[in-house]
Amino acid sequence: MDWAALRISLWLGAGTIAILLPFGVWFGRLLAVRDFRGKLLVEALVTVPLVLPPTVLGFYLLVTFGARSPIGQAFQALAGHPLPFSFQGLLLASAIANMPFVVQPIQRGFEAIPSDVRDAAACCGLTPWQQFLRIELPLAWPGVLTASILTFAHTLGEFGVVLMVGGNLPGQTRTLSVAIYDRMQAFDDRGAGVMAATLLAIAVATLMTTTALSRRVNPSRG
Amino acid sequence: MDVEFTCHSGEVLAIFGPSGSGKTTILRSVAGLYRPGHASIRSGAETWSDTDRAAFVPPHRRAVGLVFQEYALFPHLTAVRNVMTALGHRPRVERRDRAEALLNLVHLGGHSAKKPSVLSGGERQRIALARALARDPAVLLLDEPFAAVDRSLRRRLQNEIDSLRRTLDMPLILVTHDFEDVVRLATHVLMLERGRAVASGPISTLMSRPDLSWLREAVGLGSVFDATVTRVHADRGLVELTFDGGTLLAPAGGAAPNAAVRVRIPAREIVLATNPPTGLSLHNVLPGVVTAVHADTAFAAVVVQLTVGGVALLAEVTRDAVGRLGIDAGQHLHALIKSVSIELLASDAHDAEDNR
Amino acid sequence: MVRRSFCALFAVCLVGLPDAGAQRPPAIAAAANLNFALTEIARQFERDRGTRVDVVFGASGTLTRQIRDGAPFEMFLAADEEFPGQLTAAGLTRDAGAEYAIGRLVLFAPTGSPLVVDERLDGLSRLLHAGQVTRFAMANPDVAPYGRAAEATLRKRGLWDAIRSRLVLGDSIAQAAQFATSGNAVGGLIAYSLVKEPALANKGTYALIPQTDHPPLRQRMVLLKQATPVVEQFYAYMQGSAARTVLINNGYEVPR
Repeated sequence: MDWAALRISLWLGAGTIAILLPFGVWFGRLLAVRDFRGKLLVEALVTVPLVLPPTVLGFYLLVTFGARSPIGQAFQALAGHPLPFSFQGLLLASAIANMPFVVQPIQRGFEAIPSDVRDAAACCGLTPWQQFLRIELPLAWPGVLTASILTFAHTLGEFGVVLMVGGNLPGQTRTLSVAIYDRMQAFDDRGAGVMAATLLAIAVATLMTTTALSRRVNPSRG
Repeated sequence: MDVEFTCHSGEVLAIFGPSGSGKTTILRSVAGLYRPGHASIRSGAETWSDTDRAAFVPPHRRAVGLVFQEYALFPHLTAVRNVMTALGHRPRVERRDRAEALLNLVHLGGHSAKKPSVLSGGERQRIALARALARDPAVLLLDEPFAAVDRSLRRRLQNEIDSLRRTLDMPLILVTHDFEDVVRLATHVLMLERGRAVASGPISTLMSRPDLSWLREAVGLGSVFDATVTRVHADRGLVELTFDGGTLLAPAGGAAPNAAVRVRIPAREIVLATNPPTGLSLHNVLPGVVTAVHADTAFAAVVVQLTVGGVALLAEVTRDAVGRLGIDAGQHLHALIKSVSIELLASDAHDAEDNR
Repeated sequence: MVRRSFCALFAVCLVGLPDAGAQRPPAIAAAANLNFALTEIARQFERDRGTRVDVVFGASGTLTRQIRDGAPFEMFLAADEEFPGQLTAAGLTRDAGAEYAIGRLVLFAPTGSPLVVDERLDGLSRLLHAGQVTRFAMANPDVAPYGRAAEATLRKRGLWDAIRSRLVLGDSIAQAAQFATSGNAVGGLIAYSLVKEPALANKGTYALIPQTDHPPLRQRMVLLKQATPVVEQFYAYMQGSAARTVLINNGYEVPR
C-alpha cells in the first residue's frame, strides 16, 4: 500500500474542490441568473473537458505550460520548478478537467430557485449579498454538495491527465490510480490489488455519502 | 406603456385588465423589480425612480411590501423566520416579537414554527402578507392575490384584506384580472388594455359610466357605491341603508348598525317609471334625473344613466321601452329597485353572502 | 450535520501535504526493461550507503520527452544510446554518459499458447501462416528501443508485413511483457531481463534472439545537469562490481 500515493490522491481531490468551489459557485450562479450573448458557447466550453479524451487535455496543458513554452518558463522562473511534473501542475490539470462536474450541478442548483423567491428577498430589504448568503446559497446547497462530491470522486479516478502532466513521481505526482498502474508494470499484482480495492472502497463510500446527504437535505425544501 | 396614477393612504387602487395588459409590469416597476425605459415613481417625498434624472432606488432600499401571486415564501425558513427576514430595518431585539405579532394579525399565531411546505395555500398567502407588512412599507402591493384560491376562501381573504386596509395607514395597490375583486375591494380603479390606460378614477364614478362596452361584456353593468347601515329592522328582516342618493331597504344579512357597506345593483334589475307606482312588492323607489342615454348597436338593451342625489345609477331597458316612455336626458324618472337585487359587499356583511 | 461531515472529509485529507522541495529522495528515470534489476540495485545501494533513490520506470522515449519538458529527474538510464544522445544534444546532461549494459531480446510464449519458441522464429512463422496468431505483443518502436529491436528482428525473418495486423503494442517494454504473459496474446518479443525474474520465468517458455538479428541494445546512462551528490554516487555505483553482478544475473551483458 503506497501511503504517499493515497495522500496525494486525497490532497488532489481536496485541493481541486478548494480551487473550483468558489469559482463554481460564482460562475454557476452567473449562468443560472443571467442571460447574455454567447452564453451557449460559454456553457459548451465549460462542458468540453467532459467529452475530451484526457490525453487531449494533457497534451494542451504540456504544450501551454511545459518547460519549453513561454508561460512555463515564466512559471519556472517564479517558482523554481516547472509546472508539469509538480503537484501544482496536477492541481491545475485537475481543476480544468473537473470544471463541468462543478459548474453544472451548481448551475442547476441555482436555476431551481424560482425567480420570484429572489425578487421577494429583494423586496424584504436584503442587499444582493445578503440575498445570496441567506436565501440563494441555502437553497442551492444540494447542488453545491453534489458538485463537491462528484468532483472528489472523479479526481480520485483521474489517470490519463495525471500521468501525462504529472509524470509518475513518487511522493509528488504519483496518485493512487497511477501507483496501481505502476505496480502492474512491475508485475506486483498483489500491491496493485490492495490499492485498487482501497480506491474502490473510497469511491463507494463517497457515493453513499452523496445519496444519504441528498436524501437528508431534500425533505426540508418547501 | 402609457400610464399615470396616484394612490393615497387608505385608498385601494385596483389595476384591472386582461393578461398581457401590463398590470404586473406596473406593480413590479413600483417595487423596483423592473426598470422601465421611461418612468417617474415617487413615494411621499422620496423619488424611487426618475429616468429623466437617471435616479433609481433598487428594490431592497424601497419600503415596499409585495405579496407575490405564488407567494414566493422562502422554503427553507419557518413562517416566523420568513417574516423576520423583512425586519432588518428594526433593532435585532424587536424582530421576533414583531414577527409573531404580525402573524397573529393575519390569524396564524400558532403556526410560526412551521415551514411553508406543511401549510395550506391560504395560510401561505397570509404569511406572505405578514412578511410584506413587516417591511413597514410605504405602499402594499398585491399581485393577483386571489388567483390561486377557491371561491369560499377567496371571499374570506377579500374580507380580511378589506378590514386590514381600514386599519393600515398606507395605500394598497392590487392587480387583478377578475372584476369581482375590483368591485369588492377597490376605492379607485385603473383599467388597462395592452399597456394603455382606458379608464381610471373612483370606482363608483367608473361604474356609473354607461359607455364601457367591454366591461359590459365582461361582467355586466351595475352601479357600485358606498353606504352606511342606519337601521336594522330585525322584525321585518330588513336593513336600512343610507347613501348619497337617499335610503334603500335591503334584506338583513347580519350587518350591524353603522357598518360601512359597499352596495352593488345590477343594471338590469332597475325598472324605470315615470310615476311612483303603488301596490307593488318592491321597497325602493328613488326619484332621479336622466343624465345619459347610451345605445350601442352591439347590444339589444339601452343603458340609461339616472342620477339619484349624488350617485349615478345605471339601468338597462329595451329600445322599445325608451321609445314608449320617451326617455331622454333631463327627464325626471323614478328608479324601482327590488330589495333582493341589492348586493351588499363588505366585511361586516360577509355572513350574509355566505348564507346566500 | 452536513457541514460537519464535510469538515471531517477535509480533515482526513490534512494528513501530510505533498509539498514541493521537501526532504525527498532524488528521482531517477529508468527504462522499463530494468524493472527488476534496478530495483534490486537500488535496494543494495540503500543498504550499503544508507541513502535512497526513487526510480521511475517507463519507456525510454516517454521519459526523454518528460525530461525535455522539465521533469525533475537527476539521472536517466535508457534502453539505447539515441535517446540519451538527444538529451545531451539539448544541453540537459552533464556529459555524454556511459554505457552500462547490453540488453537481449527473447521470444516468449505463455503456458498454454500454441506458439513454439525458437531463436529463428520458425515456430512463429508456422503459426502465422496457419492463421493461428490471434495477437502478438511487442513494445512500441517509437518510444521503446526494445520495440525497435523487435521490429528489426521480425523484418529480418520476413514476418513483419504478415504479423503487423496482429500486433498489440505496449507503451513500454514492461507493458508489452504484461500483454505477452497475460495469455491474451500467443506470445511476444520482450526483454530478457524481464523473463529472468522467477515470477515470470515459470509463466511460459522463451528463446533468446541472436544479437545479430537486430541492432545491439546498447544501454546508456546519463547524469542530468541538476544531479545531486547522492545521484552522482549512484552513477558511480552502477559501474561498480555489485551492480554489475546484479545486471549479469538479470540477463544483461556488461561492458568491460
